[in-house]
Amino acid sequence: MVEGPGVTTRAASRVARTAAAPRGASWIEALAVHAVFVLVVVFFLVPFLWLFTAAFDADAVAYIRFPAAPTLNNFVRIFTEHDFGRALLNSVFVAGSTMVLDVIAVALAGYSLSRLEWRFKSWITYAVLLLQTMPLSATMVPIYGLARALGLRNSYAGLILIHAAIELPFLVWLMKNFFDNVPRYLEEAAWLDGRSKLRALAEIVLPVARNGIGVVAGLAFLAAWAEVLMMIILIDSQDLKTVPLAFYETLRTQGGYTEVQYGLVAAMGVLYAVPVMALFLMTRRMMVRGLVASSRGL
Amino acid sequence: MARVEYDDVSKRFPTQDRPAVDHLGLDVANGEFLVLLGPSGCGKTTALRMLAGLEYPDSGDILIDGRSVVRLEPKDRDVALVFQSYALYPHMSVRDNIQYPLRVRKQLTAMERLSKVDRVADLLGIRQLLPRRPAQLSGGEQQRVALARAIVREPRVFLMDEPLSNLDAKLRTHTRTELKALQKQLGVTTIFVTHDQAEAMTMGDRIAVLDAGKLQQLGTPDNVYQRPANLFVAQFIGSPPMNIVDARRDGGALVLTGGWRVEAPRGLAGSDGIKVGLRPESIDLERAPASGAQPAEVLVSEPLGSEVIVNVKLGDALLKIRTGPDVRPDPGTPVYLRARPGGVRVFDASSGAALN
Repeated sequence: MVEGPGVTTRAASRVARTAAAPRGASWIEALAVHAVFVLVVVFFLVPFLWLFTAAFDADAVAYIRFPAAPTLNNFVRIFTEHDFGRALLNSVFVAGSTMVLDVIAVALAGYSLSRLEWRFKSWITYAVLLLQTMPLSATMVPIYGLARALGLRNSYAGLILIHAAIELPFLVWLMKNFFDNVPRYLEEAAWLDGRSKLRALAEIVLPVARNGIGVVAGLAFLAAWAEVLMMIILIDSQDLKTVPLAFYETLRTQGGYTEVQYGLVAAMGVLYAVPVMALFLMTRRMMVRGLVASSRGL
Repeated sequence: MARVEYDDVSKRFPTQDRPAVDHLGLDVANGEFLVLLGPSGCGKTTALRMLAGLEYPDSGDILIDGRSVVRLEPKDRDVALVFQSYALYPHMSVRDNIQYPLRVRKQLTAMERLSKVDRVADLLGIRQLLPRRPAQLSGGEQQRVALARAIVREPRVFLMDEPLSNLDAKLRTHTRTELKALQKQLGVTTIFVTHDQAEAMTMGDRIAVLDAGKLQQLGTPDNVYQRPANLFVAQFIGSPPMNIVDARRDGGALVLTGGWRVEAPRGLAGSDGIKVGLRPESIDLERAPASGAQPAEVLVSEPLGSEVIVNVKLGDALLKIRTGPDVRPDPGTPVYLRARPGGVRVFDASSGAALN
């Protein structure tokens, strides 16, 4: 199944090559296709290019130029003058905790939707999906009110709970599909081998669905890591500020919007983006396998 | 070691309008090899799964050693199930798969567990496979590992759900023999589900034939083959199946399709609307006319090596007759049929029940 699309593409390209060769127009086609491809790639890479050049440039500007004398000064300054270490730790803690909470909740809820029999299950299953269509900005005000009433503003608990809740509907659906792809007979075999339902879930179903758990964990972490709106409305304590807030603050306070210190912002941006990219590169095989498997179930 | 009883067990799935299992009663003796045989959808797997605790009966009771198990979780029933798909845990090595059921037993040390695994692996000749993963095994090897995982527990009952159906024909015949010998050696009560009548005949101490959720007949392979309780069993068991032809009574004789007169079996309850069943080997084929032999015409001969199945046209019916390897009449040859005494089975045409 996994190699299916690859095989078709390969077969198709072989057909295309043999069919196009006698026409003599094939290299023009190829050039056109590649030109478009390169353009698209460049379009998406340009911001990153700026980020990396500006971060090492002592007086970075709003356009791309290679630093005359590359320096780590920007990185030193964000840690010494702007307490960026604290923001990074806060972000890692919030995103990590959100991930753990989501994985536990999603494993249980997804299993229930996939395997257990209860009334109104299909209604609830679709209601969960419907929740996902709700724009976050539409629920911003009630979430703010709720967080205030419950004393969850300016607290790790509030950030973690709310971020975990925001992503929950989609992740539950995703996990349900992963569980649907785990054959029932595997856990039945575990029950007969003397396991309770919960132990069979932990020892057999979850390990077999580990790619799914990996995808859910990755997406939960990423969502909480990159989210900005909730951070802005829930946090104004300096101790609790996360990377997006530090970022935003630096952009805003350094001489208003006219005299932005691009070097500092870019250094923060690099440190914000690189860990997540590294994490993805390390787990990419699992993520890709998981995402392919999930689309099969949908 | 256990005796298993099904006491008037019924089960209907909500999406279906007829019961999957309909008032099933069975009594399986300690150490017996019982085969549940029937076409797909006959309820045999459901019956097995209810004993395993994977389905719950709507009514009736299931007992192991005289104690009801229907309210027990699967884990508390002490039965092992070999799945059709083997259900090996893909993320564990073969060794871990086999010792998985032992890990819940707190009284076993790790050393004891591993020595049990080794002993079972030796018994099944899979010792060299222990470090591998299930995905690296052939179908036959996976089947052995699944069997090892069931045996290592020394359960009260073995349940097997078509465990041979994913093997190729040659390996299946071989494993059939082995499995039967193994069961006798271990002496564990076994319930084996299959749709393959040859498997049932060769392996079972007794066969329970199911159709449409109902028990059609329970008996030894010989009994079920020689004295089928009804038309369904007669036609399901045997390859080629029993010849069934319309017939009517005429005094002490039965007149079959095509005007073939055969002697009525003794003690036959008088009835009209009957059918007569003749096993392919219950008909003798003669080349020359003889008194009392029914003339018929050969349609085609099918040589099978050790025997030949001669297809014969009799009136509007087609009869299959088993003969020796040298008898191969050409199509169109006139032949003369004689029914063996004791080989004539009579059935009620409407109910299908055997009358003798």
